[in-house]
Amino acid sequence: MKPGTPGGLDAVETGPLPSDAPTRTVAPQSATPSDHPSVAALVARFGDAIRRHRVSAGDQTVVWIDPAKNLEVLRWLKDDPTQLYDMMSDVTGVDYGTGTVDVVYQMFSTMHKRALRVRCELPVSALEIDSVAGLWHSADWLEREVYDLFGVTFRGHPDPRRILMPDDYAEGHPLRKDFPLRGRFSRAEQTRRALAQDVERFYTPTDLQHGGPPQEVLASGHGAPGESGGAA
Amino acid sequence: MGLGDILPGGGVSKSEGGLFGAGGPTFLTTKLDFVINWGRANSLWPMPFGTACCAIEMMAAAASNFDLARFGMERMSFSPRQADVLICAGRVPYKLAPVLRRIWDQMPQPKWCVSMGACASSGGVFDVYSMVQGIDTIVPVDVYVPGCPPRPEGLIYGLMMIQEKIRQESLGKHFEHRAEDPADVARPEAEELEIVGLTGPFGNSTQQDQLSDGVAVRAGEGRPKTS
Repeated sequence: MKPGTPGGLDAVETGPLPSDAPTRTVAPQSATPSDHPSVAALVARFGDAIRRHRVSAGDQTVVWIDPAKNLEVLRWLKDDPTQLYDMMSDVTGVDYGTGTVDVVYQMFSTMHKRALRVRCELPVSALEIDSVAGLWHSADWLEREVYDLFGVTFRGHPDPRRILMPDDYAEGHPLRKDFPLRGRFSRAEQTRRALAQDVERFYTPTDLQHGGPPQEVLASGHGAPGESGGAA
Repeated sequence: MGLGDILPGGGVSKSEGGLFGAGGPTFLTTKLDFVINWGRANSLWPMPFGTACCAIEMMAAAASNFDLARFGMERMSFSPRQADVLICAGRVPYKLAPVLRRIWDQMPQPKWCVSMGACASSGGVFDVYSMVQGIDTIVPVDVYVPGCPPRPEGLIYGLMMIQEKIRQESLGKHFEHRAEDPADVARPEAEELEIVGLTGPFGNSTQQDQLSDGVAVRAGEGRPKTS
């Protein structure tokens, strides 16, 4: 947060500042990418790590960055006072079937009212990238989803399990282009495996406790029953 | 556990005939059947297993305009142990299959199952890796209600068919009618090639031993992971 700017409940107490226009609108997204303040700043600061950028769908600025530096770049985008992308709206993946899988970060700065999309191209042969779950808690489950459906490994993720498919799912990662629509096993085998699941095996008491505190999961890891599940 | 289990001659001694056995219905058994079936058919408690839009129509069927309570179903039983009819309304993914099966296993006999809508009955449009192709591979189904979703009248008609089925039952044949496992239910009588021809190369709830590329495999022998 900018120094001197009231935030949180203080902002509510203070009310609109004199400098705020009475009818404040969301800042118009620029038509050319270099007009987006974050793009210019990123290029100035990280140079070659910023591979290219363009405006998509009229007003959405997209920046392709070096996957090896994603943590560094995203940490700066979150923490730098001129950027402050404090909301990670979505982490997702795209498989174009051309040998690359994109990891897409969709961010929003609630302070500056700006949106930015950052993409990292990964070759299918080496689907590994640093986790940003330490920066945004919302990235935790979203990265699990990308791992589950695309097979991207997030280095340093606190809880790298599947999230949508069953934990012992053996057919691969369903949203990859090389995945057959109906799965790799026959329906009879899929049914047999589904009925053989032990649903409670894959969840800790903290998981089963609805809305359990995420900090405890991060701190103790899963598989430590009794240590973290006794809040309710 | 049904009444036929406790009363002499029920189920176990079918071959010897007798009061409830295969020796033919007697005055006593038919009257007893009538009274018991009358009671069961008019006090069915549904267990709603609503996973998708079909559940909205199920709720509409229970609400005032259609009023399932007219048929003795005013109490939707959200506990399977106090339920008689499982209404599976909506698509069921494989991850949910053990849950559905456990709910069915928890329901006490006698119990019935309604598969409501296209997805529950056959997978519907969701012929994909994650979706159960018809819940009759998980639990035995008594009545299929077609539609996407069916109107409340459709569900009510299906439940009335269950009532009609109950009225036809007799204590002596109780164990023949009540299946716990879908494998115990008779399959459609057709040649295997005929079923494949009708349902395409990928299999459905009656023909499950097909891979995505049309190769037939036997149940329990899934192709190993290739990538």
